Amino acid sequence: MEFYTKPGEYDAINYIPKAESHGTKELWRTFWILLGITVLDFIIYFMMPHTGFRNFIFIFFGIVKAYYIVGAFMHMKYEKINLALIILVPTVFIIGLVMGLLYEGNALTYAK
Amino acid sequence: MANHQQASFEQQPMWAGGRSPFNVSYGKLMIWLFLLSDAFTFSSLLVQYGAQRFSNVQSPIVTKWPDPASIFNHFPFMHGLHLPLLFVSMMTFILIMSSVTMVLAVEAGHRKSRKEVVRYMIYTIIGGAMFLGCQAWEWSVFIGEGATLYGNQFGITEAGQKVFGALGVGDHFEWQPEYRTAGPVPFAALFFIVTGFHGFHVFSGVIINVVVTIMAARGSFERRGHYEMIEKAGLYWHFVDLVWVFVFTFFYLI
Repeated sequence: MEFYTKPGEYDAINYIPKAESHGTKELWRTFWILLGITVLDFIIYFMMPHTGFRNFIFIFFGIVKAYYIVGAFMHMKYEKINLALIILVPTVFIIGLVMGLLYEGNALTYAK
Repeated sequence: MANHQQASFEQQPMWAGGRSPFNVSYGKLMIWLFLLSDAFTFSSLLVQYGAQRFSNVQSPIVTKWPDPASIFNHFPFMHGLHLPLLFVSMMTFILIMSSVTMVLAVEAGHRKSRKEVVRYMIYTIIGGAMFLGCQAWEWSVFIGEGATLYGNQFGITEAGQKVFGALGVGDHFEWQPEYRTAGPVPFAALFFIVTGFHGFHVFSGVIINVVVTIMAARGSFERRGHYEMIEKAGLYWHFVDLVWVFVFTFFYLI
């Protein structure tokens, strides 16, 4: 993984996308991981009482699934770090916004 | 002449145009930026949902947010049984599976194998159509139980709570009118808006997949020399799957 294209690596005029296949092994592995986590979700849903900790586990699993979908299925692992950063960094701020508004929403319970 | 052009191209500074610092084509960069903006759209909806839900936690003052397990507990052909989460898990599996066939189509495109691309794309389209069918069934059941955009009658009364609390998975269960009461208003509206918006994305994804499949089958990409269009459609399709991961988590699991 590199930050930038090297000189001469990309030619906008005669551009032909690099078509390198990384094989299907990793894709199937990712599929089994996603399926496994979903099954785990299912088991935890019925085995654990409904608590904040259980919700935390579900959200954590959701982020793990997102990592595998974006990294392996959407090939983000093989892109330049530069591209990965401009896509992924703004989403971190969304998490901050969610946290903030959940807190505010909770406070609203007692205001209305 | 060609050599001269190559030399001037190499001497250009990084951000002066004519070269992509990201080493991706214009189209692929743009689909990534579109997905980022779409991520913000869905996030704003989910943030709204989270804030509404957290402002309706159980307290002496306000009514409780309905428990998803008490509403989305149906399965086709198993009328009256209490089966929470089962149907949505099946939908999740369908979507993950269609994501896998999509990525296999992209991989086949890298090997320039037209036949395989078309085959895997058809599997993907079938998966998407199945998901849409499941969602239509889910909506029709929900609407049949009285869900509206402007009200919510899915609050549980004391009597309903008692009956519902004693239920096990697979038990027979019918909602009685005296178990229901008015709940927080935005519950059903947010469900319809968020799953509807996601379903609309799935629908557009299926249309896009049909178009690129026809193009692939007719050999357009072979003439073009690369199958990058499959990759772009794939990025969109995986994004739809990604959004479903969070819709599934926030609307059904939590």
